[in-house]
Amino acid sequence: MNRNALTFGMAILTVLAATAARAQTAPAEIKIGALYASSGPFASISMPVFDAFKLWIDDANAQGGVEVKPFGKKIPIKLISYDDQSSTATAATLYNQLITQDHVDLLVADSGSVLTSVGVPIAKEHKQFLFDVSGTGAPFFTPDNPYIALMADPVSTIWPHYISDFLDDVGVQAGFKTVAILYSTNDFTGTQANALKGSFEKDGKLKLVYFEGVPTTTSNYTVLINNIAALNPDAVLEMGYVGNDIAFLRNLQDSGNQFRFVFSIYAGTEMEEIEKNVGVSAMTNIFSYVPASNYEYKPDVGMDLKQFRAAWDKKYPAGAGVAFGANAIYGYMTGLVIERTLATTKSLKQEDIHDAVFALSGKLKTLDGAFTLREDGAQIGEVTPLGQLQPDGKDKLKLVAVYPPELANGKAVLGK
Amino acid sequence: MLIGALVAGVLFGLYFTLVGLGLNLVFGVMRIVNLAHGDFLMLGGIAAWWLFTVSGLHPLASAALVIAALILIGLPLYYLVVPRLLRARDSEMLSLILFFGLSQMIEAVTSIGLGTTERSLPARILGVGPVILFGTRLPKAWLYSAAASAIAVLFVYLYLYRTRIGTLTRAVMVSRDEALATGIDIHWVSAVAFGVSLALAGVAGVFAPFMLGSITPNIGVGLNITAFAIIVVGTLGNPLGTVLGGIVYGVSLMLMQTYLSSWANLLPNLLLIAVLLIRPEGLLGRKVRRA
Repeated sequence: MNRNALTFGMAILTVLAATAARAQTAPAEIKIGALYASSGPFASISMPVFDAFKLWIDDANAQGGVEVKPFGKKIPIKLISYDDQSSTATAATLYNQLITQDHVDLLVADSGSVLTSVGVPIAKEHKQFLFDVSGTGAPFFTPDNPYIALMADPVSTIWPHYISDFLDDVGVQAGFKTVAILYSTNDFTGTQANALKGSFEKDGKLKLVYFEGVPTTTSNYTVLINNIAALNPDAVLEMGYVGNDIAFLRNLQDSGNQFRFVFSIYAGTEMEEIEKNVGVSAMTNIFSYVPASNYEYKPDVGMDLKQFRAAWDKKYPAGAGVAFGANAIYGYMTGLVIERTLATTKSLKQEDIHDAVFALSGKLKTLDGAFTLREDGAQIGEVTPLGQLQPDGKDKLKLVAVYPPELANGKAVLGK
Repeated sequence: MLIGALVAGVLFGLYFTLVGLGLNLVFGVMRIVNLAHGDFLMLGGIAAWWLFTVSGLHPLASAALVIAALILIGLPLYYLVVPRLLRARDSEMLSLILFFGLSQMIEAVTSIGLGTTERSLPARILGVGPVILFGTRLPKAWLYSAAASAIAVLFVYLYLYRTRIGTLTRAVMVSRDEALATGIDIHWVSAVAFGVSLALAGVAGVFAPFMLGSITPNIGVGLNITAFAIIVVGTLGNPLGTVLGGIVYGVSLMLMQTYLSSWANLLPNLLLIAVLLIRPEGLLGRKVRRA
């Protein structure tokens, strides 16, 4: 009896000691390092991500922080963030600073492939796991780099999959014979353009009559559109960032040239921003990707789309200068993945963070769809259905998913 | 495609004449480089956007208000900054640093105040549908911008060659010291030129949403580089040489977009290097530069 009591007492003491040890080593805060671009060409895709990420942090901290499994308690988050001003050189310095000076526990990349590109080798060199928000460039993901995972959006090679399928299928049936591709020369759009080119060449159903890159800083497309029109293609695919798409769609309308199928990435992805600058008439019947902000996925973690939109509008009222769109969702869902990672990781060691993130693969449904990672960290679960901006009453547009058939909620309208 | 590129290039280049005109005027009169020139252009565009959004004011009416506002801003700004700058031993170099700082401040304040999103004006304001010139489809806004540029060039010509203050301005351009010795109020003359240059930037800004798609607080730096290339090509210090520089830039850009599109953003730097190597005094040369 006495012996049993002694054993029980020792067990209690062991548990208490372990708990005390945990409490002693638990950090006062979890340091998350992130970059954002408040100015420059990538500000319009970076600030929504950053603002949404801050929304998640404020929300988590208001509840006492996030659950961190190794310490068995909630710990507040401290955000250490720097403005890279859309400069890759500045971003490179700041990624280094976050890792080597600030010693952040978790590192979050800036939005988009251009500003992520410099962070990938730095994170790898320092063996720091990089939460890649939306840097979808295919070259970032290699078998020899375990220190990266793409949170939102599929890897760029997957994005245009449904465009080529649609054109090869519905387009060919409608008599399409030729395609023109105009893209901005960066990892994000260049990868997509090359994937499309390869797809059209492999399938052999449509002839690629124009395939040209332009600098991402291009702000006038009039002559380029005229040059494309001279070749009379059935479909024109323009792949650029927000500023490129605004200029392209304005110039297309101003030039009076018409094509049977016109695609632009951000017409749907950042619909509010583009509509504000381009107008409804210039966007009518333009094809685009259907982003999470326009397609109600049923998440099993965090807020649903309506709740998130309401929270966004409350924190960033109209006129705050940052538009709601797909990038806002990317920032929020990155926060949610981090939250789930910290709740399941064995420790804050980067290798364990990697394991915890990859353990979520295939088991998490977010506002952006299914979270599924390839072995090299590329996101392959979230899909990008093809959509079309169709009239919805007077001076209004709605983004209708038109392809693939299993995700479609409307029918494509092709030009004559 | 070649004719299309040439026609579009001339019209696009005329707009860029307007972009560079004020910068060259300031350099001609004060021998300083206003690296915040592009930011004043941005402010002109933001003002036109704001006036249209708030009151539906037509951009051509906004242009008149922007001219008045920027002249009024330019006069005190000149007295605040430039006379001290000109007393320095290396005023040209110091002007680069000072106006770069001003450029950063304007961009930062605008970003903080208005956010970083793109802003534009509806294209239909300046007419719906294209204009066809020599078989080339061009936006109507290009004609308006080119016309505004032509009017601005005419105004600068009349200002420099048909007014008394213009005569005094040219005297300062030839030699600031001699002008001072003959009793010319060089600071008043320079302040007026500075105000006019900002006003020209502002007008270019009003048309920027139509020519560049949209405006953001950060467009100033890139436009400065382009404007600087244009005035070097057209001859530094000769405001009217900017016309030639603008057209060379516009035509070259459209040719690059047509035949070598991936490399088009290198154009301002290529033009600068080519002119500095082959004809450092600019295409119009020194005789014209000295007014």
